[in-house]
Amino acid sequence: MTLGPAVDALAVWLSGGDPAWWAIGLAAAAVWALPLMAVVLPIAALGQIIERKVAAAMQRRLGPNSVGLDGVVRLVVRLSLPFVSRAGQDRLIGRISSLPGMSLFRTLGLGQLAADGVKMLGKEDIIPAGADGWVFRLAPYLALTGAFLPFAAIPFAQNVVALEVPVGALYAIAVSGISVMALLMAGWGSGNKFSMLGGMRAVAQVVSYEIPVGLAIAGVVLWCGTMDLHGIVAHQYNGSWASFLGWNIFQSPFLLLLACVLFFAGLAECQRTPFDMAEAESELVSGFNTEYSGMRWGMFAMAEYSEMILVGAILSTLFLGGYQSPIFENVIVALPVWLETLIHVGILLAKFTTVLVIMVWIRWTLPRFRVDQVMRLCWLTLVPLCLFALFGLALTMLIPSLVMPADAQATILGVAYGRLPAMPHLALGLVGHALVWIVPLALGFLLVIAARRKHGRQHPALTQLTGGA
Amino acid sequence: MSPDLAIETLGGERMRLNMGPHHPATHGVLRLVVDTDGEVVANCAPDHGYLHRAIEKIGECVEWPMFVPYTDRVDYVCAMNANLAYCVAVEKLLNSDPATKVIVPMRAECIRVIVAELNRISSHLVAVGAMAMDLGGYTPFLHAIAQREGVNDIFEKLCGQRLTYNYITIGGVGFDLHANAAAETEAFLAQFEKEMIRFNQLITTNTIFQNRCAGVAVISAADAVAYGLVGPNLRGSGVDWDIRRDEPYGIYGQLGVRVPLGQAFAGRAGRVGDCYDRFVVRLLEINESVRLVRAAIKLLPPAAGKANDPVGGFQADVAKQLRKPPKGEIRVRTEAPRGEMGYVIVSDGSKVPYRVRVRTGSFTACSIFNTVMKGIFLADVVTVIGSFDIVVPEIDR
Repeated sequence: MTLGPAVDALAVWLSGGDPAWWAIGLAAAAVWALPLMAVVLPIAALGQIIERKVAAAMQRRLGPNSVGLDGVVRLVVRLSLPFVSRAGQDRLIGRISSLPGMSLFRTLGLGQLAADGVKMLGKEDIIPAGADGWVFRLAPYLALTGAFLPFAAIPFAQNVVALEVPVGALYAIAVSGISVMALLMAGWGSGNKFSMLGGMRAVAQVVSYEIPVGLAIAGVVLWCGTMDLHGIVAHQYNGSWASFLGWNIFQSPFLLLLACVLFFAGLAECQRTPFDMAEAESELVSGFNTEYSGMRWGMFAMAEYSEMILVGAILSTLFLGGYQSPIFENVIVALPVWLETLIHVGILLAKFTTVLVIMVWIRWTLPRFRVDQVMRLCWLTLVPLCLFALFGLALTMLIPSLVMPADAQATILGVAYGRLPAMPHLALGLVGHALVWIVPLALGFLLVIAARRKHGRQHPALTQLTGGA
Repeated sequence: MSPDLAIETLGGERMRLNMGPHHPATHGVLRLVVDTDGEVVANCAPDHGYLHRAIEKIGECVEWPMFVPYTDRVDYVCAMNANLAYCVAVEKLLNSDPATKVIVPMRAECIRVIVAELNRISSHLVAVGAMAMDLGGYTPFLHAIAQREGVNDIFEKLCGQRLTYNYITIGGVGFDLHANAAAETEAFLAQFEKEMIRFNQLITTNTIFQNRCAGVAVISAADAVAYGLVGPNLRGSGVDWDIRRDEPYGIYGQLGVRVPLGQAFAGRAGRVGDCYDRFVVRLLEINESVRLVRAAIKLLPPAAGKANDPVGGFQADVAKQLRKPPKGEIRVRTEAPRGEMGYVIVSDGSKVPYRVRVRTGSFTACSIFNTVMKGIFLADVVTVIGSFDIVVPEIDR
């Protein structure tokens, strides 16, 4: 099911005949953009509440737990029942507020999001005198665009995707580059030295980390043989009850390495601690965000959470089987379509949320890198790792063609749309497994041991401070 | 504005950044005028005075015991130690003439050590927590603050205050210990040691944190002494000097203070006297203070009936002596958490001091900023300020 015909139909209806340019635009917005925002914005809001509650849990406090619906209830009752006496109104308000769900709502902190939104909308819109007019005003919207557009290609279920793009993986990484412009515009347009510094740092970081992200995606594309996200997800289906074994992350240690690189490079793309030197360093206040107040800042925050969820989405789709369940996927695909779709969407949302929780967890645990350390990590650690993993992956794919007959190769490396099960390389036998798994893992262990030896032993005072562990 | 901040001193490609006085880093109202060449700092001039409250001038206007609350505000993060410094100075003044001699009761001396070391713990918790927070570790900061609440609770029961205690007085302490004080303190220390182990596992041995702090702003021992650094800043550079051990006051001589020194704790990348060394020296001093509190509790004599009992009392009678103290000039220094807190007191025999001069560690630490910050990254400026543990009330008074 594509949404293209729906767009055409709506455009024709809007302009009563041959669709005019404005009709096509409106129809596209209504059919693609609005539903997408209706999906992504709540997820971004979820990201915000998860962040605040997880941070509070780690810091042994409660987090937002006091904003309820009392204000809204009071407002609605008083406005809609003016003919009822004050006492009567108060009794009704009391009855509604003491319904069982209300205090749970308050404790979960869900009302906090609404309160934050109202607060941001109500703030004074300050534009600094030295700001560069249009550039300053346009930047938040560009950031949101760069954060939302890639979601169009992500498949939420077998037939649920906003845009059928044959090169979905490439589209996702390409379109998220729009946010780089937004960072530059925000930093420059603020007319503030600190913001400009922060913007420059942020741009350098984001542009650099797109390389490991792209290489990691290239590794998956190499393994699956297709850039279509539907095809990649289908490639991870192995037709058994233990469907997690078909996930790309378990197919090869090189893919596991690429998944870790994608996760950390994605963290850096979103500028989350430990990579948030552009925005949260104390001398920069908020880096390129400094001069934005109220809802303009809210847009940047939403863009950041959306990008985090995007990284989760890409990671899930490319490495964690997409919308497929870790167990009993073969049972789920046999269910009626509506039920299967619902379950699949729920599973993908659960995967997003897990990756999000891990990102938030890391943020509140680790201190941040300095700018030169961030760059060094990218160019001297992640990019070589990616290249090494790509090389190893290519070698891994070459081995079957050297040791097996040609007709068996097709099923191993073949991939098609739909539900052709991708065979893991069981046919390789023991020797093949040893070569493909044990040798790379052994190399990895040796590397880690060498690095630890180079780092030296811990000072005994530090050992004593950490409990003699 | 001093002449070296004139705009002509800016070179060709340099940018002048104004950090403060409203700092996101919670070090108070300190203004740093930083000239940077892109990311690298070329010049850093501190500009202070935003928190000047004329405390030394006030010292010339109020009577001797009335100045004690003002000493709280000289350094409100370690108010007990600030109280103690002034009271030790005035007691030395009174003891300079046998007619006005004052004997501080032994119980009061033990209580003084208990509260001073507990306050050293809470002050160092702020220092290491704030440094971690400036580097992005928000969670360890909050864990440190939560532990500080334990100390604040003990002090609240003791004297009713959580920040500026006005507890240590000339001749003793303000109130005797409350009923369960020793047991409560011991319970706090037991759970505190466990929490500090977790804190250290979280941030101190974190590789990112070590890489941020190792080798940054290395201060040699000779430089540290030449610029007048004191306290953990001095000991972090390897200079073995602690006033509690080398010029003891109170019962510190009996307790025997062990002094941690900087030893390039960060391993291969570390140097003696870098930011990491100063950080770890404070953590080791926390452990030492825990030991001192326990030792002082053990030495505590039981409470006597009278407040001015020389062994079991908590406050000697000094009112008469303070109305006519001996004339003279007294110099005293004590070891506050931020280093040496020195008092020069001039008395002309009246009940109001002639001059009270406070010498604090943070003020002289500002003198080394320019030297130590040349050539570091802008991001490291925050690390360096955090490692020096500057509090602005000490700088400005």
